[in-house]
Amino acid sequence: MARLTLNLLRRANAINPQLVPLLKATRSLQLAIAELRWIKQELPRSQWTDAIRKRAQLVPLQYILGSQPFGSLDILCSPGVLIPRWETEEWCMKLVDVLRSAAVSDISVLDACTGSGCIPLLLKKELPALQVLAVDLSDKALHLALENMRRANVTIDVQKVDVLNYNAVPEQRFTLVTSNPPYIPASDFDKPLLLNGVDASVRLHEPRMALVGHLEFYRALARDIVPACHSEGVVLELGYEDQYLETIANLPLNWSHGRYFDLAGNLRCAIAWKNGSSMECLGRLVNENQSHP
Amino acid sequence: MIRLLSQLQKSRSPARVTNLVVKMPQIIAHRYNATVTVDQYFEPMHPLLLKRAENLSNEFEDLEKQMSLGAFDQETSIKFSNVSIVLDLYNSYVRDLENLKGLVDIVNEETDAELISEAESEIETLVPLLQACSQNVQKRLLPVLKHSDKPAILELRPGVGGSEAAIFTKDLLNMYIAIAHFNRWPHTIVSEGENSAGFMNEAIISIDAPGAYNILRHESGVHRVQRVPATEVKGRIHTSTAAVVVLPKISEGTEQSLADDERQFSPSEIRIDTMRAGGKGGQHVNTTDSAVRIVHLPTGITVMQQDERSQPRNKAKAFSILRARLAQLEREKEVAEQKKLRTDQVTTTDRSDKIRTYNYSQNRVTDHRCGHLIHDLPGFMAGTKFAELVERLEETEFEDRLQNLIAQENCK
Ligand SMILES: C[S@@+](CC[C@H](N)C(=O)[O-])C[C@H]1O[C@@H](n2cnc3c(N)ncnc32)[C@H](O)[C@@H]1O
Repeated sequence: MARLTLNLLRRANAINPQLVPLLKATRSLQLAIAELRWIKQELPRSQWTDAIRKRAQLVPLQYILGSQPFGSLDILCSPGVLIPRWETEEWCMKLVDVLRSAAVSDISVLDACTGSGCIPLLLKKELPALQVLAVDLSDKALHLALENMRRANVTIDVQKVDVLNYNAVPEQRFTLVTSNPPYIPASDFDKPLLLNGVDASVRLHEPRMALVGHLEFYRALARDIVPACHSEGVVLELGYEDQYLETIANLPLNWSHGRYFDLAGNLRCAIAWKNGSSMECLGRLVNENQSHP
Repeated sequence: MIRLLSQLQKSRSPARVTNLVVKMPQIIAHRYNATVTVDQYFEPMHPLLLKRAENLSNEFEDLEKQMSLGAFDQETSIKFSNVSIVLDLYNSYVRDLENLKGLVDIVNEETDAELISEAESEIETLVPLLQACSQNVQKRLLPVLKHSDKPAILELRPGVGGSEAAIFTKDLLNMYIAIAHFNRWPHTIVSEGENSAGFMNEAIISIDAPGAYNILRHESGVHRVQRVPATEVKGRIHTSTAAVVVLPKISEGTEQSLADDERQFSPSEIRIDTMRAGGKGGQHVNTTDSAVRIVHLPTGITVMQQDERSQPRNKAKAFSILRARLAQLEREKEVAEQKKLRTDQVTTTDRSDKIRTYNYSQNRVTDHRCGHLIHDLPGFMAGTKFAELVERLEETEFEDRLQNLIAQENCK
């Protein structure tokens, strides 16, 4: 992360003094210019000063503007619920493409740890024949997911479920399970970004419950939820190789699996499917053998 | 006078004659009892184009046969309608030319003065119609260039002249928006870049009307402005430039087109960079930086997009621009091939060629390719005079292409 030099601050001030506080959050002049433009495009003039002041306190711009694009959707964002990430958007759009071209767009999908509801809502929006259930443990998340559902003008089921509690898992068939569970180990959560830690803005303003978690989620998903729901495929977002290994170690025997890397070249998802099932198409998401940036 | 007229006609392209008031050689023809010929009124189409027309009528018969045998696919049907339009025009050209010949014969052979003058007045109305018709047919007989039916993407960048060049680039952007408005073409600004001093360093605009590329492609090249910049205290005139690149739009550049765009390239062919490689990403980070850069390795073409808050949207836009640039390359290759045979007159417009000058103090726009002047700079910037200039440019280009075709056929 670039240091804020006096020179940079002076240059920002010369262009527009409003950029100076924004630089505290963006650390890059280009990005500060972009953020100022978005603020002015999306908020009424009366809110500009307040927005800039909040941003200087590292409040995420997505909370300030109140939304974040996610594929063809505009997902509402509010404090207490995780902001959708571009990495999630990226694999989710690829998943839509894979399901669509494999013509398996009328299956049932469970999205565990749904947060704002971004994943199941985009799936449902793009593939209206899907049957979708979204679950989370946070009331704020469930509330926002419902609001986002109305905004996206689609219908999905939303339930309060503790993914880590085996007994709470709904007894229903779900061909596909998607999830972006909390995956930052507690030990990394308080470290600086450079040492695998998190952005100050994340630590200060996003809900810890949505972020801190590790192998227990992948174990619960692969070992308990997949068999209970008779699933044939999973797409699980993750941040660490250990989480991938934990996932595949707990899957049923006759399953295949592979790694998905995101555009930045980071390991991002465990992809797995039951051999011979309709979810074999998920294999197209695996890109571990291609060259990465 | 007869000579004069025919000289005049010969020296001009058929297109320009259309606007000419045709002066009739009647009195002189009579006084000296000279014979008039068709050529004196009208320069017939080049024999090569006539040959192409013949070929087309054979093609039409083939198509008709195919369709009567049950070929109702869209491609055949579109071809059928295109060919039939050209043939229709061609037939009326042939008919009008026959009529002209008949009228000329009357003038030459009749003795009845009244009949002669009637024939002459008919000739007077017929000739402009014939010229318009012939121009229309000739244009359609030239082979259609790739991507002519596509919408357009325009890229604008300041050239020499510092901040004044940046301001002029912005003026040009507004001009293209005005042209789009004037023609009722849907359009969107794809991206607008500023340098760290706050001046525009790039603008990309998409004009989403089919065929817009074919009209706007003439805008490719360096545009020059001569004026006193607002910032100039001593009132001196500055000269600055902006470069415009016009591309055929191949892909929509939206989330919907992204998957298809990605499929067009093998992973080894492109490299995609995000501007924050390094770090764990994902839940660890919530930055708004969603810039994407695509490098097309075989050509080295690099496209960067950062205006959108969504990374896939930036990526989709970048892909759309990349595909447009590649399509443009493809087309340039095609044009170069058609010109290869005419080594004597290579007129490829280089991207570094100055194509037009906007002189504010003289209220004048000069296009250097066809020499056309427009003495209404505000009108031109407001988009109302654009069609007039395009017409002149197309005449120039038409002649050029016709010469190419002739040279090519001669080499066969
Ligand atoms: C990383 S967020 C993902 C949100 C959303 N799916 C996304 O991709 O933006 C993780 C979510 O898991 C939820 N969560 C945490 N522990 C949970 C549990 N035991 N059972 C169900 N959901 C849980 C949090 O409330 C949070 O919404």
